[in-house]
Amino acid sequence: MRIATPLLAVFRTLVYVFLLAPILVVVLASLNAGNFLTFPPQGLSLRWFWTFLNNDIFLNAIAYSATLAACATAVSLVLGTMASLYFTRHAGKHAEAVRIGVLLPLILPEILTAIALLFFFYEIGVGTEHKIALFTGHVLMTLPFIFLNVNTSLQGRDDSIELAARTLGASRYTAFRRVTLPLIAPGLSTGAVFAFIISFDTFGISFILKGTGSAPLPIQLFDYLRFNFTPEAAAVSTVSILMTLVLVVAADLLFGRRD
Amino acid sequence: MTEVSLRSLQKLYGKTAALKAISLDVTHGEFVSLLGPSGCGKSTTLKCIAGFEDITDGRICFDNKDISRKLPEDRDIGMVFQSYALFPHMTVTQNLAFGLEMRRVPKADIARRVASAMEMVQLTPYADRYPKALSGGQQQRVALARALVIEPAILLLDEPLANLDAKLRDEMRGFIRDLQKRVGITTIYVTHDQNEAMTMSDRVVVMFDGEIAQAAAPEDVYNRPASERVARFVGNANILDLPVAGADAQGTTVTLPGGTPLHIAPCAAPARAGAPDRLRVMARPEQITLTGPGLGQLPGRIEKRYFSGGHVEYTVATECGALFVTGPTTQHVSEGDTVGLSFDPARLWPLPDPAPERAQ
Repeated sequence: MRIATPLLAVFRTLVYVFLLAPILVVVLASLNAGNFLTFPPQGLSLRWFWTFLNNDIFLNAIAYSATLAACATAVSLVLGTMASLYFTRHAGKHAEAVRIGVLLPLILPEILTAIALLFFFYEIGVGTEHKIALFTGHVLMTLPFIFLNVNTSLQGRDDSIELAARTLGASRYTAFRRVTLPLIAPGLSTGAVFAFIISFDTFGISFILKGTGSAPLPIQLFDYLRFNFTPEAAAVSTVSILMTLVLVVAADLLFGRRD
Repeated sequence: MTEVSLRSLQKLYGKTAALKAISLDVTHGEFVSLLGPSGCGKSTTLKCIAGFEDITDGRICFDNKDISRKLPEDRDIGMVFQSYALFPHMTVTQNLAFGLEMRRVPKADIARRVASAMEMVQLTPYADRYPKALSGGQQQRVALARALVIEPAILLLDEPLANLDAKLRDEMRGFIRDLQKRVGITTIYVTHDQNEAMTMSDRVVVMFDGEIAQAAAPEDVYNRPASERVARFVGNANILDLPVAGADAQGTTVTLPGGTPLHIAPCAAPARAGAPDRLRVMARPEQITLTGPGLGQLPGRIEKRYFSGGHVEYTVATECGALFVTGPTTQHVSEGDTVGLSFDPARLWPLPDPAPERAQ
């Protein structure tokens, strides 16, 4: 049975409004000419973007978050791909254990993973002074996204393709690089975009494990909003939304579905 | 051309024996089929030869060189998979060139060899297509060409026709056979289809439960099966269990119900311990002729008649049980008719005793 087309159009519009309205509010608030973070904006101006671009704290936070996200994504790409290759090629309880282990940070509330890591790193005497705690947290948070996306690329793939490459004279490594890697490239790129965005945006893990010194952007923004309520926060958010958008569009143009 | 020799090849999965010390020699340029039901060990054998499975015991030799411990990429084999296993992200040309690139063949030689391989399988017009833009039969031919272009020592084929429809399968059967003869490459072909095995092979190796039941020319496997199980797996078989009237150097005389004696030539099958009082003989459906009532050696009644194009299939009720008989379409016999069955004693094949575990 088909739903009447006009009704469907209304419903679709409502869904988009529901999803996009908050983002639109933030973007509009960042264009506010006034001194306070209010909506609707009191006059339009780019002055808060200018303020932000001259604020080293935020610029450093963005750079820090981007570096952290890039490193966490890189490590997750390797670990997630390895986990996925194991999981899709083996059956039984070991493969299932790998799957559950990798997906656990996604299933558990983020705060639980964060607290568990906090305890762990203090227990082994490392604490949060080193970036390793924060970094581990980000890897754990991003790993499921690589794992799930690579799984999708591998499932339904014929295992004998890599064997065929072997019989043709390719070593295990060459067979992976020339045959399997190109086939999972779409999963890797989608997973990497997800991983980067998750790491860039995540709050709970960073909040608990960040230690002292420089902080990722969401934490810096949170700290800022506790004492200041200017549209600069909205400007920072707008820039971060734009960065995410650029990333998604670029990934789609580069590796998007071509089949 | 290469000789392949399997020596007491054994493969255990945990405690389950997939291969129970099988030995087999394949000579230069020979086309050998491994035939058997699923789980008989034919695919495991092929995987061991390809190097995808570690063997538990025994040896695999190519030209008397033990290659059992070599990696698949060092074995110099060409393999065609049931799923074809073409590289989906490469064109036909790139698929064919892959093996040559791995062998560090100079670029100009690659182009030349790929072109000639493509011609060999008549795929030149499809050089720049991706596998998904090809039909099943074309993909199959790419897979063959890809395996052969590297000029491997041996060619392994793992149920390559299983995913094709019937008409294409018949076509490809002849194509593969002709190609193999032309190239002259030692070939091991795995199939569960007795028809494929018989029409293509120089020799058929019938396998059951991880063991070789018989390795012989197709005619021998069909007409002179080593056991009742082989007889039944390779085509339709009528097994008659008949009382023995006497035996001498020229063979055994058995008696049909009704008293007609049949003289059976001696066979290579091991003689029974003690005085045999009964003998099981096999008759293929086309080796029994339908004649009029009262004629032939055994009376019967037509129970079922199936017209199948080239011939007619009958189920005939006799005192030896229901027999499966085929006859020409020119013969006019209907269901319910009384007929006589005529046997050619020279073409009846005595079977050895069934294996002890199935004799109970």
